[in-house]
Amino acid sequence: MRITQNMLSRNLLSDLQGDMDKLSATQQKLSSGKELTQPSDDPFGTSRALQYRADLAQNQQYQRNVDEANSWQSVTDTALSKISDSLLRVRDLVVQGANDTSGQSARSDIAAEITQLIDSIKAEGNTQYAGRYVFAGSATTTQPYQMGASDTYSGNAEVMKREIGPNVRIDLNQTGITVLGDTNSGLLKTLRTVVADLQANNGAALQNTDLKAIDTAVDTISNAQAVNGASQNRLQTAGTRLQELEQTATQLLSNVEDADMAKTMVDFSTQQAVYQSALRAGAQIIQPSLMDFLASR
Amino acid sequence: MPLSTFMGLETTLRGILAQQLAINVTGHNIANANTVGYTRQTALLAPTDAYSEPGVSRPPQAGQLGTGVDVTSYTRMRDGFLDIQYRAQAMKQGLASATKDGLTQVQDALAEPSDHGLNSLLQQYWSSWQDVSNAPENLATRQSLAQNAASLADGFNALGSQLSTIQSQTGQNVLSTIDQVNSIGGRIAQLNDAIMKDTVTGDHPNDLLDQRDLLIDQLSQLGNISVTATTYGQVDVSIGGASLVSGATASTLAESNMTSLTSGKLAGLITLRDTTIPGYQSQLDTVASTLITATNAQHALGYDLNGNAGGTFFTGTSASTIAIDPALISNPALIAASGNGNVGNADNALSLANIRNQALVGASTIDTAYSQLVTQIGSDTQQAQRDTDTANLLTGSIDDRRQSVSGVSLDEEMTNLVKFQRGYQASARAMSAMDEMIDQLISRTGKVGL
Repeated sequence: MRITQNMLSRNLLSDLQGDMDKLSATQQKLSSGKELTQPSDDPFGTSRALQYRADLAQNQQYQRNVDEANSWQSVTDTALSKISDSLLRVRDLVVQGANDTSGQSARSDIAAEITQLIDSIKAEGNTQYAGRYVFAGSATTTQPYQMGASDTYSGNAEVMKREIGPNVRIDLNQTGITVLGDTNSGLLKTLRTVVADLQANNGAALQNTDLKAIDTAVDTISNAQAVNGASQNRLQTAGTRLQELEQTATQLLSNVEDADMAKTMVDFSTQQAVYQSALRAGAQIIQPSLMDFLASR
Repeated sequence: MPLSTFMGLETTLRGILAQQLAINVTGHNIANANTVGYTRQTALLAPTDAYSEPGVSRPPQAGQLGTGVDVTSYTRMRDGFLDIQYRAQAMKQGLASATKDGLTQVQDALAEPSDHGLNSLLQQYWSSWQDVSNAPENLATRQSLAQNAASLADGFNALGSQLSTIQSQTGQNVLSTIDQVNSIGGRIAQLNDAIMKDTVTGDHPNDLLDQRDLLIDQLSQLGNISVTATTYGQVDVSIGGASLVSGATASTLAESNMTSLTSGKLAGLITLRDTTIPGYQSQLDTVASTLITATNAQHALGYDLNGNAGGTFFTGTSASTIAIDPALISNPALIAASGNGNVGNADNALSLANIRNQALVGASTIDTAYSQLVTQIGSDTQQAQRDTDTANLLTGSIDDRRQSVSGVSLDEEMTNLVKFQRGYQASARAMSAMDEMIDQLISRTGKVGL
């Protein structure tokens, strides 16, 4: 094949441009740390990267949901503990009041203290988390109990759900009506009966029914604590699992998107060497021609 | 047989003149070594007619006597078959590189994979619904949802309008390319005319032919052309099935004339404008309209903070028209997060967040449908880049072969220069020898005893 100077320089130029092209792509990988900068770099990889990014975003959101539910249930747990403490105090007082040695005045004093404790229990029933009443069912903006004689429950009985995984929902709240009851039922009604019996000096009722009723109420609270605690355990497990999944997804995303620095660096050095030798060879091939060697006259 | 005394002088003079002409051709080649489209020329040297005395009774002698040399023609060193191959490749190159340029623009508009592409906006939007489900009473989370929904809508709008812009730019590019086709057609017709005038007088208008070949090369990048040689060195050129040049007449073509464009830049641009980009737009519109319909249907099932049934969430019907209902931005309490009207209930927010997991676009979710669009644009672009690389490589290699035949090699020209210069010198030396012989005859002959 007949080779002309123009062919040489054209080929040299296009080879140099090809080298530069590769160098610039490698340099971009090095400086951005990304293997994938455009969908056309690897269309299939891009679709996986988008999927992993979506998975990651969803996972992080579920972790936020778990944290949020966990905080809610911690607040619930604290309130339930305090209610439980107050209730145990009430039980001691009732045991004391049920004793036949207690006279009318002693029983009235006990009744007064229990009335105080009712208020403090209702105050716990009004516990808020981030501005929301945790025992009000889904009427979270309504204060469920009023202080004083009225025991009306203003919340509702709805158990709210939180999503902690794809279609995995847990019960979030304990409602006031099941834990504390109201005028007509539950703990508050029991306590009001106890107070009435104390004031009425009704020792028989105190000894027979009231103590049993208080034990039932204590059981209800313990039960609520147990349910809440179990739910918190579940949240913790879910949280740990989500963190592990996040690590895996991050790893997968990095495998698809991120450049292998060691390999890219080696590629870069190789391409640089090729480019430099192409330049050197070009400088030596292109320059001389027959004219340099014909005697000038 | 008597020969003229001066015949030798004439023979050597022919040698001198022919070498000189050959040196001129060499000079022309060297001068045009870097001219694009130039084809190297050679002076074809041939012996002039031999001297022989006609006649039946011519005296016996040793054959015919040569009378020197003459330049019979100046020839372009060009292989027409390589031209055909080159143009066939150039059409493919034009198609591939136009497609690549357009698709690269589309791909840049996507900005994927990144933290600010539509994929991220979708994730933020879904997450916002979850955030609302964590605190449905909270106006701040609702406001943030409304803002993220607005950003998502903006993202769809921006991508939709960028696709439209690229489409209309491609349309303008089609028009300017057709202008280019017509302008090249006009110049080819003019050259045809000039070539015809030279050819009828028996000339070889090499440089005009070079110019015309270069124009045809350029034209082949723009569309699928066919070139037919006609009389007096003229060519007829048609592009995309429409006659562009016929003899010395050029037609002004419009897009509608070129009914069978299959290759070249024009075919690439028209496919982008009429098929590829509208295809992407309709896929994007499907994603957007599915999101709008599904969200609005679910939103209407819920209740806002005031216990009223939910209204519209997204307005619009396509990627370029999607927007969040402005009422929700000004009053995020109207977002229907509750499933039963209770403020703490967030069932509807969860249902809305879970639209992401539903197969609503064929068998795909909204996220997957978008990711499929990105993957498709990515693989189309990758394909176009590969086609372009291949076409560049092939045109390059065919052009090398063409250059191998037609290109000017300076080494070769220098060798020719030496060769012809020596030929010139030798002819001159032969002439001197003749001169000395004649001098002998004129000045010395007959001077016996003087």
